[in-house]
Amino acid sequence: MQKKEECPKYYEFFNSVKIISGYKALDNIASELDMLGARKPIIITDKGVSQAGLIDHVVNSFGGTQVAIGALYDDTPVDSSIVAVNEIAGIYRQQECDAIIAVGGGSVIDTAKGVNIVISEEADDLMKFTGNNRLTKPMKPFIVVPTTAGTGSEVTMAAVIANPARNVKMQFTSPLILPKVAILDPVMTMSMPPKITAATAMDALTHAVEAYIGPQKNPVSDAFAFSAIELIKANIIDAAKNGKDRDVRLAMANASLLAGISFSNSMVGIVHALAHATGGLCHVPHGVANAILLPHGLEFYIKKSPDIAARIGKLLRFFMEPEDYAKIPVNEREKNTVAAIRDINDSLNTLCGLPLTLSQAGVTKDKLEAIASAAINDGAIAFCPVEVSSEDALEILKAAF
Amino acid sequence: MRSKRMCKIVPPEKWLKTQITRLCLYFLGMGIETAYKNVPQAKREMDTLPDQFSFCFNVVNGPSMMILKNGHTVRYVGEKEAYHADLELVLKNIEFAYLMMTGRISTPDAVYHNRQFVRGNLAYMMTMIRVLNIAQTLLFPNFLLRFYIKTVPRLTMKTMVNRAKAYANATIGLFA
Repeated sequence: MQKKEECPKYYEFFNSVKIISGYKALDNIASELDMLGARKPIIITDKGVSQAGLIDHVVNSFGGTQVAIGALYDDTPVDSSIVAVNEIAGIYRQQECDAIIAVGGGSVIDTAKGVNIVISEEADDLMKFTGNNRLTKPMKPFIVVPTTAGTGSEVTMAAVIANPARNVKMQFTSPLILPKVAILDPVMTMSMPPKITAATAMDALTHAVEAYIGPQKNPVSDAFAFSAIELIKANIIDAAKNGKDRDVRLAMANASLLAGISFSNSMVGIVHALAHATGGLCHVPHGVANAILLPHGLEFYIKKSPDIAARIGKLLRFFMEPEDYAKIPVNEREKNTVAAIRDINDSLNTLCGLPLTLSQAGVTKDKLEAIASAAINDGAIAFCPVEVSSEDALEILKAAF
Repeated sequence: MRSKRMCKIVPPEKWLKTQITRLCLYFLGMGIETAYKNVPQAKREMDTLPDQFSFCFNVVNGPSMMILKNGHTVRYVGEKEAYHADLELVLKNIEFAYLMMTGRISTPDAVYHNRQFVRGNLAYMMTMIRVLNIAQTLLFPNFLLRFYIKTVPRLTMKTMVNRAKAYANATIGLFA
């Protein structure tokens, strides 16, 4: 018999972001700024977004309003960096801006979060705020317009910013850095190439799956995770096949946001710990690393814990029709969930060349031990439902190689 | 007559729970000190932290314990101000701390339930969590350990000797 879903004895859930989703949603930016008491925002983006012409959609949305764009910064690097944060903060002060709008993917959003910390805390050194809950002052009005559908950064209370001088990645976590508004407009994700669409979608799927099987899960985060998985399953292949379908793009943007809200509260586990380390040491894109490692991470949990295996088994209902799901014996469902995720990976590999193994993603065998050592110091390890040693991490990496 | 509600209400002090938590934090501090001296894994872990490093485990408006690392020396220094600590593990209130210290909720569950928060570098916290786990294996018998940590290690003669050392250190410290 399927194990009964239990309510945790205690949990906390928080998300304060206003969500505006739909066609022409961008046109709400000016009125949202007005409600936040801001008139002169700085727009932070990157070269890719501005060259794709996406920033024009945002600028045009201010037409006929009282809002003047204080500055536009489009030099955000691929990995958000303290150098860019300080430069943008300088421009913000010089132009006397009063709000921040981030238009882009994870790096742009994280950079904008860093800028907001520096400005709002009236600080000159971002390093002082590294870690959890270091922030104390209310932040400036902050609006996010994501141009990818995967990171969920528009609704998460964390930012990762590199300090190239010290060769470290600093993590900032605080409920205060949550944006005030997240705007999902399908026009902003339509130009995403199929391979990035596939990788970011798998990132979102990994967020949702890990959020549901993790020990910090709760009924509220589960609801968000389930909705995310349903939307991803229904749209992921179409999004990679036909990026011009606005309905599919909107569904994927929502899935990413829902998964973001879920994992921001119930956290992620071994798959993310390994993906962070793989990205840090071998520069494998985060979504690609997650896509490769997700089935192997789930197999590790299945082997280690019958309770977690049962949770993984329950996810199968999102990957098949109810009548087919009912036919599969309870103790075989977890394996079928992993197989269903592998099927998605295989389809994406055929459609757009998404790598299936770490070696295909450019990782060399001699790096595996270093990745395993780095992974067990990642914050996500604390939220793994089972104890993970560096040997365990290495075993998963070898299986994924 | 003035209503009782108009008077200033002074909440009870929760003296007993505070003192029990204080005592447990003291033992935990001494446990970390002993673990660093006697358990190679704990030493290896703490040697990865910066040479000058302070860790504070405290309760909001409640008792605390501070560990100082200076080169290859680790010392428990009692209750100090957490303000300057490099890393802080903060339990949100004395009720949560009491439940955790008395094994009614495990340390991992305290993390999963958001009953605590961390101030400082998360990678350092991961190291300190592993050190705290080792210190707890020195402080509690195996049949109680499952209430405190995720995986209970096998009981060895070495562990039993180290446990005796931890309790001897803590007892001496109490009367020093």
